[in-house]
Amino acid sequence: MERFQYTRARTVPEAIGIAAQSTTAQQSAPIRFVAGGTTLVDLMKLDVERPTRLVDINHLGLNAIERTADGGLKVGALVRNSALAQDPAVMRDYRVLSEALLSGASAQLRNVATTSGNLLQRTRCMYFRNTAMACNKREPGSGCSAIGGENRTLAILGTSSQCIATNPSDMNVALAALEATVHLQGTKGTRAIAFQDFHLLPGDTPNRETVLEPGDLVTHVTLPPPRSGTTSRYLKLRDRASYEFALASAAVVVEVAGGRFRYVRLAMGGIGTKPWRMTAAEQALTGAPVDEATIRQAATLALRDARPQSQNGFKVELATRCLAHALRLATGMASV
Amino acid sequence: MSVVGTSVARKDGIGKATGAAKYADDLSIPGMLFGRTVRSTIPCGRVKRIRYDFDTTGFTIVDRRDIPLDGRNVVALIEDDQPFLVERDVRHVAEPIVLLAHADREKLLAADVIIEYEVEPPVFDPEASTESLKTLTIDKGHLDAGFAQADVIVEGTYRTGHQEHVYIEPNGVIAVPEDGGIAIFGSIQCPFYVVKALKSLLGPKAHVRVVQTETGGGFGGKEEYPSMIAGHATLLALKAGLPVKIVYDRTEDMIATTKRHPSIVRHRTGVKRDGTLVAMDVEVILDGGAYITLSPVVLSRGCIHAAGPYRCDNVRIRGRAMLTNTPPNGAFRGFGAPQTIFAIEAHMDRIAEALGVDPVTIRERNALVPGDTTATGQRLTADCSALPVLREAVERTDFRRKREALRGTNRGIGLSLFYHGSGFTGSGELRLASKAALELTDHGVRILVSSTEIGQGTRTMHAQIVAETLGIPYEDVDVAQPDTTLVPDSGPTVASRTCMVVGRILQRCAEDLKRRLGDLTPAEYYRAHGPFTIVREHEPPGWIQWDDETYTGDAYATYAWGCDVVEVELDADTCEVRPLHLTAVQEVGKAIHPALARGQIEGGSAQGIGYAIVEHVAMRDGVMANASLTNYTIPTTLDTPAMDIVLLENPYEDGPFGAKGLGELPMDGPAPAVINALRHLGVDLSEIPATPERVMSACGSR
Repeated sequence: MERFQYTRARTVPEAIGIAAQSTTAQQSAPIRFVAGGTTLVDLMKLDVERPTRLVDINHLGLNAIERTADGGLKVGALVRNSALAQDPAVMRDYRVLSEALLSGASAQLRNVATTSGNLLQRTRCMYFRNTAMACNKREPGSGCSAIGGENRTLAILGTSSQCIATNPSDMNVALAALEATVHLQGTKGTRAIAFQDFHLLPGDTPNRETVLEPGDLVTHVTLPPPRSGTTSRYLKLRDRASYEFALASAAVVVEVAGGRFRYVRLAMGGIGTKPWRMTAAEQALTGAPVDEATIRQAATLALRDARPQSQNGFKVELATRCLAHALRLATGMASV
Repeated sequence: MSVVGTSVARKDGIGKATGAAKYADDLSIPGMLFGRTVRSTIPCGRVKRIRYDFDTTGFTIVDRRDIPLDGRNVVALIEDDQPFLVERDVRHVAEPIVLLAHADREKLLAADVIIEYEVEPPVFDPEASTESLKTLTIDKGHLDAGFAQADVIVEGTYRTGHQEHVYIEPNGVIAVPEDGGIAIFGSIQCPFYVVKALKSLLGPKAHVRVVQTETGGGFGGKEEYPSMIAGHATLLALKAGLPVKIVYDRTEDMIATTKRHPSIVRHRTGVKRDGTLVAMDVEVILDGGAYITLSPVVLSRGCIHAAGPYRCDNVRIRGRAMLTNTPPNGAFRGFGAPQTIFAIEAHMDRIAEALGVDPVTIRERNALVPGDTTATGQRLTADCSALPVLREAVERTDFRRKREALRGTNRGIGLSLFYHGSGFTGSGELRLASKAALELTDHGVRILVSSTEIGQGTRTMHAQIVAETLGIPYEDVDVAQPDTTLVPDSGPTVASRTCMVVGRILQRCAEDLKRRLGDLTPAEYYRAHGPFTIVREHEPPGWIQWDDETYTGDAYATYAWGCDVVEVELDADTCEVRPLHLTAVQEVGKAIHPALARGQIEGGSAQGIGYAIVEHVAMRDGVMANASLTNYTIPTTLDTPAMDIVLLENPYEDGPFGAKGLGELPMDGPAPAVINALRHLGVDLSEIPATPERVMSACGSR
């Protein structure tokens, strides 16, 4: 771990002002915001992240959960994962989000991890976290050890010849299905980014993970008003029952009327290089009858474009089953 | 007053609960430097050149040339083949080459040592390896004649992978120059093993003192490796003339230190229509890694247990431990037996299936009973409990009815029957000639043994045995910290021997002392006559006959017995295997401290569940690729099923109060019981861990 300077920001503009001096807001940024620190401090200990300056944003007051004018929800960047998961409005109207948050990490970590930190959570690819190995995400141009290496847990969607690392967040999968919006404040004012546009595909620049620019501070996330009549669920499959990242996970938001799917939003985790919306399957389901055949077909369609690596071929089938089962749960066709 | 058989407060409980207990990394000595090990990055080849690409001011640098003239560059254990520091040839990744020490940890970690190699092709497949570290054959009866009687022949191949110990505290020591020699303070299972290794390193006349600090778990992982790390810290400390601390972080500990041997076990079994076993041909292959270390004895214990707790007149067990270019595999709770018992117990369910009988029937028909002989020809006596543990487990779980009732559901139930020999194999205990001592104090007695408390309850259990024998309060018994200049060599803390063997020597010490005390209490005697110490040596039972050449005779003084029943739920959709319930019936002779005994069984069973379902070492190009707790998955409490622990007691006549060894037994049963429960569900697996992808491909054949 390298030495670094620590500054506690008192205001949002002060935090932004300091961070804007950074050359980048991505991997290897010399200036970093720190909130819960559950990912960043780990990575600093591993020498994967080597910022020279940390700006503590814990005292900026961005920790409220409020109703928005249109009936949606505004979640401050510093709302802790456990507080968000246990918020009565979230538990009632956005169950998928609550379930996703509670399936992540451990109770202790959820008590300090924040909404924006979770949004920016780094991959758990073992090569990214091991400085002795080549990794294009950590060190652009060094190569990808995971392709042809230990890739059992890595991505089958959105991969490139440079990177196959999975986005590890559970919360992100729920936010994708809920069509959340990420709100930023930077040197040029505020911006609102649709959730699906916030994370980037690795392509040739896997070190760039989001649209964030130097100085950009995530201030809050908004959720659209809950649709009446919808049910939402999160299903996570993993190697052990807690404190483990997903092999495959599915967030589903559905409304059923007259035995047919009327509204469907699907996203998956553990299998994509970013939180993955399943739009083709959403379209296939919308208007279709709620039955086993339809669900299976849609789930198969969802994974149509999967490109497995040397060790993770099983994830195609596992993810298909995961999505199908999440749909069964949300439609009441299965109870557990 | 009876203290044996009750769950008294642990001797180490308050210290550990309050944080007062000091582990190696809690200690700091004035002037102390930090040490670092520079390791090979190739699995096979030769070192060509070493370059120090940093300002070496303030650094202590040690390489093979710093080994004292009187000493030898070998970690003395069974064979002297493993060097402390690479001479020239590299046999595995993470092999120590150069040692650095500095007062500033950041500078130490930043120092760049560049090593150039001549690379040679490595061998990673033990079956492709041409170099064996040990071979052995156990022969009983006539195999061909046995197969000639068979109605059915069942074959199977079973595989297990590496397993990492994941003790809470990584390996670590501090070396302090002392009296022209060295004192070691560290996280150590076997202090006298370290003495032996350091006397080899420094020369026989060197002063060596080894003190065990509080130790956060071992599970066998601190049996041999502390000798290596202590040697490194010693070389640095002697060169610097200052204390040196080396404590590994989790990744270094996982990459560099020992693991459980991966295994391939092939069974070919002849059986009569009525279920009687008539011929067992077993081949055991262990992946030993790059040096011999403990592989010969791991292979030995594995092979002796390979035929399972069953009667069969015609048995051949051929074993070999093969050299591969990975870090050496070593001791891990069970010591070869979990591998071979996994194989035989999974195989028994296949045999039952082939005959169309249930898993209980096939085991009832063949389970060892007093008077039977084992594969090595050992005739069992009244303390053989195979049938009692099986019957208790079957009855308690309503196994047969449940197995029928669960048919067609997503739940399966399976069992395993197993045994574990207590203490060193064959004449090993005689050769060890272990000693223990009791000394009087002003308020009672103090136990002097080199047996270590590594979480399993050594101090408490030994104090109970002594208090009970002397008829004094448990509180009046102290236990000395193991310091090799103050305590006798009680043999290593391994092989389920600390209670049965060392506890028995202490019992004898206490018996002698009691006679000497007459009507006085220890404190009264101390006041009247001054200090007094009694030392006794282990006296193994005279009837033990063992031939190391032919592998025949009495392999162990006694065995502990177990039957595990596991109920699992399989999500047919997602292929998740969830263990729901585990019943562990284990016959331990006598539970000196029932709560600790149960704790051992719960912990060992959880470790066994991890071995069965989730624990997977991704060994790639000769190095553990998933060397972190993020990527090496062990069970959490949520992954550990509810457990019903049943202690049965069938005393071993030469154990303290009848106690047998218990530490390793619970590791043997869970994996085959889980696999057999999956087989009940129609999932045919012969390899662990049962990861979703393995289960999924096995389900495809349902």
